[in-house]
Amino acid sequence: MVNDAASSLPDPGATSHEVLAHLQSGKCTTKALISEYLNFLETTGKRLGAVVEVFSQSALQEAEASDARRMAGETLGVLEGIPFTAKMNICTEEGTTDASSAMLAGFEAGVDATVVQKMRSAGAILVGKSSCDEFAMGASNESSAHGVVRNPWDESRVPGGSSGGAAALAGAFGWAIHLGSDTGGSIRQPAAFCSATGMKPTWGRVSRRGLIAFGSSLDQIGPLARDAKDCQIALEVLQGSDPLDATSLSFSESSKEPIRKIGWIRQGFGEGIDASIREQVEAARSILEKDGIEFVEVSLPTMAQANACYQVIATAEASSNLARYDGIHVGKRLSSNDLEELYSSSRSSGFGAEVRRRILLGTFVLSSGYIDAYYGRAQSVRQEIREEILSALDDVDALMMPVSPFAPFKIGERIDDPLALYACDILTVTANLAGVPAVAVPCAFDNEGLPVGMQWLGKHGDDHRLLQLASLWQELNDTWKSVPQGGQS
Amino acid sequence: MSWNTVVGLEIHAQMATQSKMFCACRRQAGAVPNSNICPVCVGWPGALPVLQGEAVRCAIRAAICLGCDIQELSRFDRKNYFYPDLPKGYQISQFYHPYALGGSIPFTRDDGSAAVLPLVRIHMEEDAGKSSHEEDGTSRIDLNRCSSPLLEIVSEPLLMSGTEAASCVRSVRALLRWVGVCDGDMEKGNLRCDVNVSVMPEEAVEFGTRAELKNLNSFVSIERSVVVETARQIEVIEGGGQVVQETRLWDQDKEVTASMRGKEDSPDYRYFPEPDLPVVWITEDDIQQQSGSLPEMPEDRRQRWLKEYDFPEREVVPLLSRRENGDYLESLILEGVKPASASNWFRGEILKQLNEREERIEVFPVTAQSLALVIKAVEEDRISVATGKELLQKSLDKGSDLKTLLESTDEQVQDEGALGEWVDQVLSENEDAVNKIRGGDDRAIGFLVGQVMKLSKGQAHPKKVQELMRARI
Repeated sequence: MVNDAASSLPDPGATSHEVLAHLQSGKCTTKALISEYLNFLETTGKRLGAVVEVFSQSALQEAEASDARRMAGETLGVLEGIPFTAKMNICTEEGTTDASSAMLAGFEAGVDATVVQKMRSAGAILVGKSSCDEFAMGASNESSAHGVVRNPWDESRVPGGSSGGAAALAGAFGWAIHLGSDTGGSIRQPAAFCSATGMKPTWGRVSRRGLIAFGSSLDQIGPLARDAKDCQIALEVLQGSDPLDATSLSFSESSKEPIRKIGWIRQGFGEGIDASIREQVEAARSILEKDGIEFVEVSLPTMAQANACYQVIATAEASSNLARYDGIHVGKRLSSNDLEELYSSSRSSGFGAEVRRRILLGTFVLSSGYIDAYYGRAQSVRQEIREEILSALDDVDALMMPVSPFAPFKIGERIDDPLALYACDILTVTANLAGVPAVAVPCAFDNEGLPVGMQWLGKHGDDHRLLQLASLWQELNDTWKSVPQGGQS
Repeated sequence: MSWNTVVGLEIHAQMATQSKMFCACRRQAGAVPNSNICPVCVGWPGALPVLQGEAVRCAIRAAICLGCDIQELSRFDRKNYFYPDLPKGYQISQFYHPYALGGSIPFTRDDGSAAVLPLVRIHMEEDAGKSSHEEDGTSRIDLNRCSSPLLEIVSEPLLMSGTEAASCVRSVRALLRWVGVCDGDMEKGNLRCDVNVSVMPEEAVEFGTRAELKNLNSFVSIERSVVVETARQIEVIEGGGQVVQETRLWDQDKEVTASMRGKEDSPDYRYFPEPDLPVVWITEDDIQQQSGSLPEMPEDRRQRWLKEYDFPEREVVPLLSRRENGDYLESLILEGVKPASASNWFRGEILKQLNEREERIEVFPVTAQSLALVIKAVEEDRISVATGKELLQKSLDKGSDLKTLLESTDEQVQDEGALGEWVDQVLSENEDAVNKIRGGDDRAIGFLVGQVMKLSKGQAHPKKVQELMRARI
């Protein structure tokens, strides 16, 4: 029976929508599918350090229940039987939600985040929790309390971050949807590093309730998967106004027409961007042009300040969001008879170096005497960036540039140089600052066989239009279909 | 040198809402510690605040009755500080863009003139929890109060004494209670007040350096602390020193203020816009809806009562201190009681009972309907005033229904035949007294009437008895 089922399983690189059709046609049971996916998580997923917890028992039970529903002819969810994972900073009823931090070691949220509830209601099956940088702060997944995550295309390299675990899983193997979060590129950059498709929705489109906050005005939950269509199906499920998140809204697309005119962001191809990355994305442009997509050059001069602006705002909000981990209510406590001492020792030992650095920076930029020079100025720059992006989007349907200025780097290569790590974000933070949607797709592999990604930014609410464009690209180019050799279990 | 005192107020009023400000938890005083809490109000990772409409409506009512300029657009900010009863590590407040600007508080100046204290602003914010420190050194934290809605009312520093400050706080309390925004019990902490005090030479134009006084939990502390602090500051200056800007704590027992922290030690709250909450829109419609549902305001009621009921001014003032009291009084009148006796009964009996029972009229067990029956019986001479009061007392003591008690009470005997028999009997048994009266000493008539009342077991109508008696003597 097991052999029969295994022989009829989908290909390792199959998309979720292909798997949906596969299950629908009865080629395999959900139980067989989930069972094999759990096997992938336990072997490759754990070897890469990408998955922290695997929920075998509950997932198999749910798979059986799903099979029973299918047999009984009941109405099935749009993601019926599809495995999904949640990033370690997204609350789930089972398991722990520690944001990959020693501060929250063993923390059980006890409730599902709204996004997890929605995935479950759509029939998807929670199979595990993916690793990430501590409190989602990082671009290399080297700051996770659960250890480094490895890039499935070259295991000596980083998968990007902070949703590195989710991206490594999505790059290594198909079938599933992975929920990540993106504050300054944390979905898109690892997606680009691991050759997965990932999207950061319009800020407010997807409920943040149940997401452990980092920079609330920038944070957004989104899907990572094999292709744009998977992301589209997932986004349909995830989106919508949530009474438990006052900033969540229902959005509609600015137009029903497909994207035909793209702005080529000059600053996305300038100094600091590796030549190999530029060339690959330029080649992609030619392919799209041949299909009749029109390109125009646009200049976003304020983008030069985007990363500085981002570092100020994100750390400011983080310094406040992480204040609740004080050793009194939630989080690691080192006992002391002195309150100050309790706070400082608990927080010093619970938080890792990068998180402490950002809390200190964020506290500084909000401090009396400095707030105008740092936080205040960053707010004005943010406003300028937003206006610049929106005015550029008046003339074009989407904007295009690479995701990362360079290819996946070696584990340990940048870890001692925070500024070199912050440079990973220069092309991704713009979308977060402006609150606009952005989709990252595999573009090509470079000379060394490492993935190169590119991204499109759209108007607020144009998430599905961007995904449509991404689907068009994925029809024209099949880079996304590759699966790494080591990724097959 | 002659000195002037300059006083400004910062009043914190807990809004009397059913639920908290950013979650649907019950806002309830005196509940079992940590029983009215949820992920949102305890800052559980992943939980987000959602502004409850009830708190905003309540805040709008406060702003209307203080005559503020309500802002169409306002927003929340985070006030960051660490404290064990603040589980998020920040308080959600309105720092940069409060929802109401301006406005004023009517009050009485020390010279007796009516005045208004201009307000700078009112903003909404959430309350923190409560810490209690045990003698053995342990501390306990109750998070029930976390995220309860508060209003902070900030005045210009334009008062001249502690009595004026107390008068203002009384006035705010009366207004907020009137419109149901705040219960206004200082001793329970649902109305709290900080006072800024500075002194300046009489002829000076620039304010002196101010000290902020905290821990004022009664009107007496407000009055006294200003007096004491004024004296302290004058002494400092006259002794050649300088007043420093600082926060001082009032010690009610010792009647002194003591430095809590200087300006340089004051916490840096690092205010920034709360990213988890959208801006607050208050439309003209929202304001109309609230002002339309506001009760008649005290001044309007005063005017109307003076005109409609012909109450003397001195009677009206105490009746206006709480809206519910006046509502009860008016119910008596609506039930057919004459305004004058409604006022007499209310000021005499009801207020006395409420005081003794330490109870509010809202929970007073005797309804206006049944009390009106008793008062009308008195008005119509069917029972005596004394009997009426006894019935009320009995109903309260035994918890029995006043209407039933009234129905089972014998009415006063007014029939001249029956009264005549009692009068004749008393007159014949008290010849001495009768002779005294005949001799011109009228004092004995009271004694004789009393004897009839005794004989009739209180049933006789005293006025009629007296009339009959005089006719016979």
